[in-house]
Amino acid sequence: MLQAAGLKTGELPELWNLSEPGKIAAVHRAYIEAGSRVIYANTFGVNRFKSARCGHSPAELVHAAVRCAKDAAGDLPVKVALDVGPLGQLLEPLGTLRFEEAYDVFREIMAAGEEAGADLAVIETMSDLYEVKAAVLAAKEHTKLPVWVTMTFEQSGRTFVGTTVASMALTLTGLGVDALGFNCSLGPKELLPLVRELRRWTDKPLILKPNAGLPDPATGAYHITPDEFARELVPALDLGVYILGGCCGTTPEFIRALNDALPETVPDAPAVPLQSGVCSGTRAVGFGGVHVIGERINPTGKKRFQQALREGDMGYIVERGVEQQDAGAEILDVNVGLPGIDEVELLPRVVKALQGVTDLPLMLDSSDPKALEAGLRVVSGKAIVNSVNGEQDVLDAVLPLCKKYGAAVVGLCMDRGGIPQTWRARVEIAERILNAALSYGIPKSDVLIDCLTLTVSAQQEQARETLRAVRCVTEELGLHTVLGVSNISFGLPAREQVTVSFLTQAMQAGLDLPIVNPNQRAVMDAVASFRVLSGEDMSAEAYIRRFADAAPAEASKPAASMSLADAVMRGLRDETAALTGKALETMGEMDVVNTLLIPALDRVGERYDKQEIFLPQLISAANAACEGFELIKRRIASRGGESVSKGRLVLATVHGDIHDIGKNIVRVVLENYGYTVIDLGRDVPAKEIVEAVRREHVKLVGLSALMTTTVVSMEETIRALREAGLDCRIMVGGAVLTPEYAAEIGADYYAKDARQSVEIARQVLG
Amino acid sequence: MDARLTGIDRGQVLRYLGCRGAYDEALEEELLRWSETLRAEAEPRAVWKLFPLLPDFSLAGACFRLEGDAIRALLKDCDQVILMAATLGNSVERLIRRTQAVDMAGALILDACGSAAIENVCDNLCADLAAEFAPRYLTDRFSPGYGDMPLSQQRELFAALDVTRRIGVTLTDSGLMLPQKSVTALIGVSDRPQTLRPRGCAACGLHDTCAYRKDGKHCGTI
Repeated sequence: MLQAAGLKTGELPELWNLSEPGKIAAVHRAYIEAGSRVIYANTFGVNRFKSARCGHSPAELVHAAVRCAKDAAGDLPVKVALDVGPLGQLLEPLGTLRFEEAYDVFREIMAAGEEAGADLAVIETMSDLYEVKAAVLAAKEHTKLPVWVTMTFEQSGRTFVGTTVASMALTLTGLGVDALGFNCSLGPKELLPLVRELRRWTDKPLILKPNAGLPDPATGAYHITPDEFARELVPALDLGVYILGGCCGTTPEFIRALNDALPETVPDAPAVPLQSGVCSGTRAVGFGGVHVIGERINPTGKKRFQQALREGDMGYIVERGVEQQDAGAEILDVNVGLPGIDEVELLPRVVKALQGVTDLPLMLDSSDPKALEAGLRVVSGKAIVNSVNGEQDVLDAVLPLCKKYGAAVVGLCMDRGGIPQTWRARVEIAERILNAALSYGIPKSDVLIDCLTLTVSAQQEQARETLRAVRCVTEELGLHTVLGVSNISFGLPAREQVTVSFLTQAMQAGLDLPIVNPNQRAVMDAVASFRVLSGEDMSAEAYIRRFADAAPAEASKPAASMSLADAVMRGLRDETAALTGKALETMGEMDVVNTLLIPALDRVGERYDKQEIFLPQLISAANAACEGFELIKRRIASRGGESVSKGRLVLATVHGDIHDIGKNIVRVVLENYGYTVIDLGRDVPAKEIVEAVRREHVKLVGLSALMTTTVVSMEETIRALREAGLDCRIMVGGAVLTPEYAAEIGADYYAKDARQSVEIARQVLG
Repeated sequence: MDARLTGIDRGQVLRYLGCRGAYDEALEEELLRWSETLRAEAEPRAVWKLFPLLPDFSLAGACFRLEGDAIRALLKDCDQVILMAATLGNSVERLIRRTQAVDMAGALILDACGSAAIENVCDNLCADLAAEFAPRYLTDRFSPGYGDMPLSQQRELFAALDVTRRIGVTLTDSGLMLPQKSVTALIGVSDRPQTLRPRGCAACGLHDTCAYRKDGKHCGTI
């Protein structure tokens, strides 16, 4: 419409709110005359990033836009919506825009919208559920406006960022939006199957605003007529869509045709059984059937994990996440509680790090409501809170958080009196927790009960009580159950036998969300078998796939003749670990590091320098050596010693640059040579780098930049480090740098590759 | 004209990996494995649009005036310009990040495969466009940031082509694209074949530092 009125491609339409208010109001009027009952103010692209380039504040543009819309509406029964579109920048973890900053940008827009007199906020054309969450929280925390959300999907059933319909429905229903649905994307016909899917996962009113069919890829023109559009859209009413409209390619004629085609009375929403579950932004786990929760992100009894938490070693922690996903976990329990650790700061950091590498839904495991809130806020998707118990003050502290952030909650069958000894008393507590959750407005399907596993070697009769409680909670209360299974076998030999047997019996009793160690093959085998017997694994397809080529795995035993150096050179991880273990029988840890592992890596480095091997092989060798270092670290950690480190340094990809694979390679190689790397990530402002160097007292900083344009910010960073008077050496690397250029911008060292960064670290740190 | 990923050029991947000589079978196997993984995950998308080119090197109907001598020289015989953008999608971005967490060597190979794959998608699109526009001629692809065309023009290209909405590629504040395996380019349309073809080592920004040149080779020969 605006383009027809003279707006150029690429011009900011929102500027017309100020320069051409008459033309904007005329467009609104045309839609009102065609029958629109809700009109969107011309605020779609307003945000601080875009308005910075046009010289007007977001508030100014929002006020002008809402005024245009209200002028057009006059006294007519027409609602004016604040229209909030995507920010145009990709959020973490794939992008660099921080969740908190996105929230802040939306806060500004939402507050201006309410102040300007909008009747509701519509968040639309979104691809990233994480961005939507920031916008919804901003609206709910800073205004009283009703909130509608529509997202943009492809025919595949995913958005550009990978959000699924189920994830969208679960997350937004949980966050308490007033209506949700789709806009843009496709034509009405193509969107109906997605509406049907959406209906399965939410009972909220649905919105549908399709395009006028599919665009011509070259011209972007749309082809269906207003009458066709209306005819194709009307069947959506039967799916419970009560809010209809048009997006790209539609005009007032389409709205008029749609109005004419609508029946007098709206049909009742169809009664569809509602599917519950949890999700990340891109993967949903629907409740029903067995879903494994991985227990390994937990410091209890794990010295090496505790060390990683104390050192803020995110790499180690997220690796445990990926490992469990690969082993078949569908949800990850995340527990970072450790004496002396600031859980409120650490939990959200770990949540974000995990979201960067795995798409599994998360279960936040903490007893600190503040840590839970900090974690829930930055979760992408719908999480589970682990846990509450039957104590009223715990319920009152945690349940409102679950309600606000739309999380499911685990209720432990215990209270001030401890764990009841009878199944009946545990079920009573479960009922109490359920009623408390309902009173806070949490749906029944989001209440998960943990009937608690006690160690069978200590309290033998309790295993049966637990199983009976699981059965009763499942069958009588109709709730899903969670159970930490591994604890059952504590103190017994051949623990796996008892654990697996108990797991099988518990699943038979109704347990559907077991918390286990998925890296234990027998445990996952038991789950696979159970799914066949329960009928969940149709035609045993998954089972057959799992065991199709399951030749019994030979324990990897290095050939007798292989040396540790050979194993490292050939990048053989298991063999390197085994041979390191053997060496440790007769040598001290530091001896193994200094006389075996490091010299082996050096030989690899020399071959790399001579171009006998290339970067992938260099990294493989470094990774293999890492297995040896890991073994040594675990040994030292287990007797409470300090970690082995040859020295510490800071690495960062400079501000403005997002290409960090080079920096990550340098990190891996340095770590595998025994250096401790404080990795600040990518797009890191100079100030943050200076602060880290000061705080950590490091003597070496590595900076990377890929682009000519970002070498400028590398230079700024070096200047900032010098001006701060910090006693540190600076090495730089990146595709467009040369030794001369590096010297020119003030660096001490130019590292042409990862291998050379090790030489530099040696010179500086020893 | 759909975006198509039809192959991942092995030589190109090796070049991105810096392999300048012999390499072993194990590496060859890894290459194969990771390029399969990448192809299974890729969601190639592309968008393009034709604009009349005005004498002052601005595109009619868009707020986009082309800056830099190199692009103007390339387009000297053209009266129209195609803007194009292509991407492998966020699924590939996610795959590479995830792999970095557990297998850096694999991630490096995957990253190189991704670069070769997006080139393939662009080549296919350009071949389709050449067929579409025949008998007229198309120039080589030219991207913001090449030669003396400022990278900052990426933003104007994005607005003119509506790239974010059409294929889901976003720009960071500093003008870099996410997902990273994405390409934008300009292609001139003319009645004559392109005369000036600034290819070869002399035109390359890495002329002074190129490792291949130091070995007496060039990047098209391995």
